[in-house]
Amino acid sequence: MNTAMHSRLGAVAALIVVAIAAAAFFVGFYVLPSQGSGSTVWERICRAAGVVQARSDARAALPAFTSVVIPHAAMTAGTPEQAGRGATLALRCTACHGPQGMSGADAPNLRGQYAEVIYKQLMDFQRGARSDAVMGAMVATLSEHDILDLSHYYAGLPRSKDDRLASAPALIRVGDPMRNIAPCASCHGRVDGKVGAPALEGEPKAYLQKQLTAFAAGTRMNDANAAMRNEARRLSKDEIDMLTDHYAHAPL
Amino acid sequence: MIRAQRLVLAHFWSAFILFFAALLLGEWQMIMRSPLHAWIEIPEHYYRSVTGHGTVMAYVFPTLVAMGFGYAITELALQRPLIGLKWAWAAFGLVAVGSLTAATAVAVGAASVLYTFYPPLVGSPFYYIGVVLVVVGSWIWVALMAINLHAWRKANAGRPVPLAMYANVAGASLWAWTAVGAAIEILFQILPVALGFKDTIDAGLARVLFSWTLHAIVYFWLMPAYIAFYTIVPRAIGGRLYSDPMARLSFALFLVFSMPIGIHHLFADPQVGSGFKFVHSVFTAMVVIPTLLTVFTICASVEIAARLRGGRGVLGWVRALPWRSPAMLALAFSFIMLGLGGAGGIINMSYQLDATIHNTQWITGHFHLIFAGAVVIMYFIIAYDLWPHLTGRALAQTGLIRAQLWLWFIGVLIMTLPWHLAGLLGMPRRMAYFDYSNPTLAPEAWTVSAAVLGGALMVCSGALFVFVLLRAHWAARLELKPYRFSATVHPVEAVPAVLNGYWVWVTLMIALTIANYGIPIAQLMNAKTNVPAVLYFSR
Repeated sequence: MNTAMHSRLGAVAALIVVAIAAAAFFVGFYVLPSQGSGSTVWERICRAAGVVQARSDARAALPAFTSVVIPHAAMTAGTPEQAGRGATLALRCTACHGPQGMSGADAPNLRGQYAEVIYKQLMDFQRGARSDAVMGAMVATLSEHDILDLSHYYAGLPRSKDDRLASAPALIRVGDPMRNIAPCASCHGRVDGKVGAPALEGEPKAYLQKQLTAFAAGTRMNDANAAMRNEARRLSKDEIDMLTDHYAHAPL
Repeated sequence: MIRAQRLVLAHFWSAFILFFAALLLGEWQMIMRSPLHAWIEIPEHYYRSVTGHGTVMAYVFPTLVAMGFGYAITELALQRPLIGLKWAWAAFGLVAVGSLTAATAVAVGAASVLYTFYPPLVGSPFYYIGVVLVVVGSWIWVALMAINLHAWRKANAGRPVPLAMYANVAGASLWAWTAVGAAIEILFQILPVALGFKDTIDAGLARVLFSWTLHAIVYFWLMPAYIAFYTIVPRAIGGRLYSDPMARLSFALFLVFSMPIGIHHLFADPQVGSGFKFVHSVFTAMVVIPTLLTVFTICASVEIAARLRGGRGVLGWVRALPWRSPAMLALAFSFIMLGLGGAGGIINMSYQLDATIHNTQWITGHFHLIFAGAVVIMYFIIAYDLWPHLTGRALAQTGLIRAQLWLWFIGVLIMTLPWHLAGLLGMPRRMAYFDYSNPTLAPEAWTVSAAVLGGALMVCSGALFVFVLLRAHWAARLELKPYRFSATVHPVEAVPAVLNGYWVWVTLMIALTIANYGIPIAQLMNAKTNVPAVLYFSR
């Protein structure tokens, strides 16, 4: 090859690359964005370039994002003084949220709700991140101090708790760590649920007993990773009797 | 004999020792998250290990191999002593100090942020300073490669630059420009937060800057393997390189097409416009060209070897290939893995298909298949090929070497192919544990057990590799013939000027980077979308 061809080779290579780039930009920024509708070509090109476009009309209607940072004081237990002040302030809330925080008006029940949850929602109402015609007016005059007091008052009201687990046998509640037995309730509900683990309350005792025995003997083996076989093998006959008795008589 | 042999050996040995350590970490990770072991109790330990594994395998190991190989090429191809030996040792020192600094920060659990950094996660400043030192050390190497080539050109005006050196400097140039993205991210975004000058960070901008580095770095890892394809394998199997200009064109095109493509890692990122995603997708597809040029040229070169050995027929010559030669075996393995991984890569770079496998175990499978598979197996060949010239001693029988290569190949396939399947089924990557007792996941559990098995084979292969190299230091002394790279079919007397230099390709590389990254970076800097940083350590 002569020198003229050599220098041209570079130019040709550069031209091919530039042509590919031009074609890619044309398709990426004109052809593909033109498939849509409802905005000008320039707006579509800008959108394809990822340029954030400030549209003054739309922006005004957009709700502000939450800017609430939950303080430590809302996450720790409140003092009796806070709850007392909160109770006074809460008199204005009772019409909707009920005298003891149990609503008769389809407003949320606040009794026993976590303090940080109430704090965050009230602050969001106040700052406009959450909007509601009634709540917006209700929170307008509250100080952050008031909001903390209200939060602790409602958090301190007793929430009815499911205490059935508390009376369950230890094997169901906490298992037997020294024998490597996991709590039944950690898969079968009450503490946590595991996909594929059945609810056992109210099942016939004879059925439960037969299955646990089959798992222990290894004759039933459709449990993933041998989870049930490993548990059942470690149970004594008396324990199987006690557990199945408990589940058979447990309320649904 | 290589005059800077102690320098090259220092690079290779530190690279391979770190490689083996990181290999063990990888296997430990696989065991911990497989159904063969109980859930890891402290997931942070898993991510600490992933950070160590990734930092060594992505930054330190390939950089040390490229540097050591680059110094060897400079002396062997240019037939002159290396200029700047003291600077080269200083660069090695920086890489070593940087690696130790970063490794300490990771080991004490102050930087479990993964090697991709992931702002707004911010770890200990020592981690990033360590990485910066590694990069600065490698930049000294880049400068030395350019200086040595320049000095040779002055003394050999008008002569074609030897192919190995041409490719080596192409790789160095690529690395110099590639590393800029992550360097900007670390110096201007992450370190100010890690050092306590700022509390917020623009995570979207950081991801765009990192993508600048993250994809092109892959081609920097690939360069030594490609240099071995072109300049070592044809000679090692008794063949000839089919075309010298085609080889140069492939390396030049890697310079051009490596850079303007990184946003294909960000297809799911909302801060990048769809137009740029499309353009990056197009340019990623262009990487197919130098890749297929290479496959064609190397297959033709191999065919020459087969026909010289009496091979006949349209495909019958394949049987006449020297299959007992480690270089031949590794090349075949590498091409199989490159083919499978490349096909997967075309899915990754497709704007639409990517949605199926984005951030799934498929991706982990893909880059292990390409890097740990196709590329690292050629690093082995580079070491085996250079070792007698570095130590002056014979290597062990090739039987052991063949076993090592087979183990690696089978290990990589057993590990990565099930990962691809798991990814298609939707298994996310970067998980410390899975609940295999969940009936939805239980059928996928075997893929992770397979990875444990594949990884175990790779650990055995890695140990064998280190053993073979180590034993050579006590083997019998050799009468060495001068080292030579592959000869070409036609002697290389003149090369087109554009393929003897870099300015066209470097200009295109920089221009395309600006065209494809300029607006996304500028508009994100303008948008000021900082978020609070999440500190991973106590200041």
